[in-house]
Amino acid sequence: MSAALAEAPRIDPVTAGPADSELVAMTLGGNSEAFSTLVERYDRAVYHLAYRTLHDVEEARDVAQEAFFKAFRSLRTFKPEARFSTWIFAIAYHASCDRLNRRKRYSNEELPDRADPAAGPEGQVLALDEASRLRAAIEALPEKYRTVITLYHLQGKQYEEIAGVLGLPMGTVKTHLFRAKEQLRKMLSAAEVTES
Amino acid sequence: MNNYDDDALDRALFALPLEEPPAGLRAAILTSTIYAPAPAFAPWEVAGLGAILALMVWLAINVFSDGGHLFQQSVQTIGFSLGHTLSDFSILWWVALGGATAIWMQFFTGTSSFAPVSRKAQSRPNR
Repeated sequence: MSAALAEAPRIDPVTAGPADSELVAMTLGGNSEAFSTLVERYDRAVYHLAYRTLHDVEEARDVAQEAFFKAFRSLRTFKPEARFSTWIFAIAYHASCDRLNRRKRYSNEELPDRADPAAGPEGQVLALDEASRLRAAIEALPEKYRTVITLYHLQGKQYEEIAGVLGLPMGTVKTHLFRAKEQLRKMLSAAEVTES
Repeated sequence: MNNYDDDALDRALFALPLEEPPAGLRAAILTSTIYAPAPAFAPWEVAGLGAILALMVWLAINVFSDGGHLFQQSVQTIGFSLGHTLSDFSILWWVALGGATAIWMQFFTGTSSFAPVSRKAQSRPNR
């Protein structure tokens, strides 16, 4: 693992400033600029989640827009004790799943639960720089593991939040995460061995 | 064994930059949310207009249900009342007197509403 990659700061969408719950309250109070701060904080992460789930730039863009639109429309139903990030990720994740189901229904396209065995996920991660290799390895994961890893990447080790977004028990989230990491490790180490 | 132990993999994951969203995503989100044009009517206004429309339809059905007889009768009654009022000299005289009194009071009692003082002129500081 390169030192540069290991030491690079984690991108955290929550920056200094008012808390998300305060921004929600301000938006409900008529200050629409507060919502734009929420958009600034989370648009990238929401897009990232949608993109990792759908593998399509246009659809991910639509899902991100749809998620914020739905959140804005139903902001009054947002519980102040909840986390805005969990809420918006859950909306985006469900919208992504809806699109995946629609895709499957109308085009008989297989859901991306598995990487293409012919391409060989381990082969895909070869000849790429470290970050790209990691991305390719994540892309090669089955969908359920990929989503957990993506949320883990976005939110840190907050299993409870990931469970909240996916609507899964926390134990399942931990299991998925463990298996996802195992698979990632295998793919990445195989790539290293082949390279050396 | 490889270099990717649990901590190294965590660090690599957290260090992985997020994909750049397409240009214009944020603008599109803001346009569809906070900068979206307000609806022409509030929900209560739509409900009110609907109720008024329904009432008008109900009235129209009632008025024209008997071949327009009720409608004709109503028009005749209103026409007769107006004609009677306008042809009666004493009524016209009282109406004219009342109007003239109102105009006189507005002109000569200092409560004229014909020349309101502008707020701008009132708030202008004295030099």
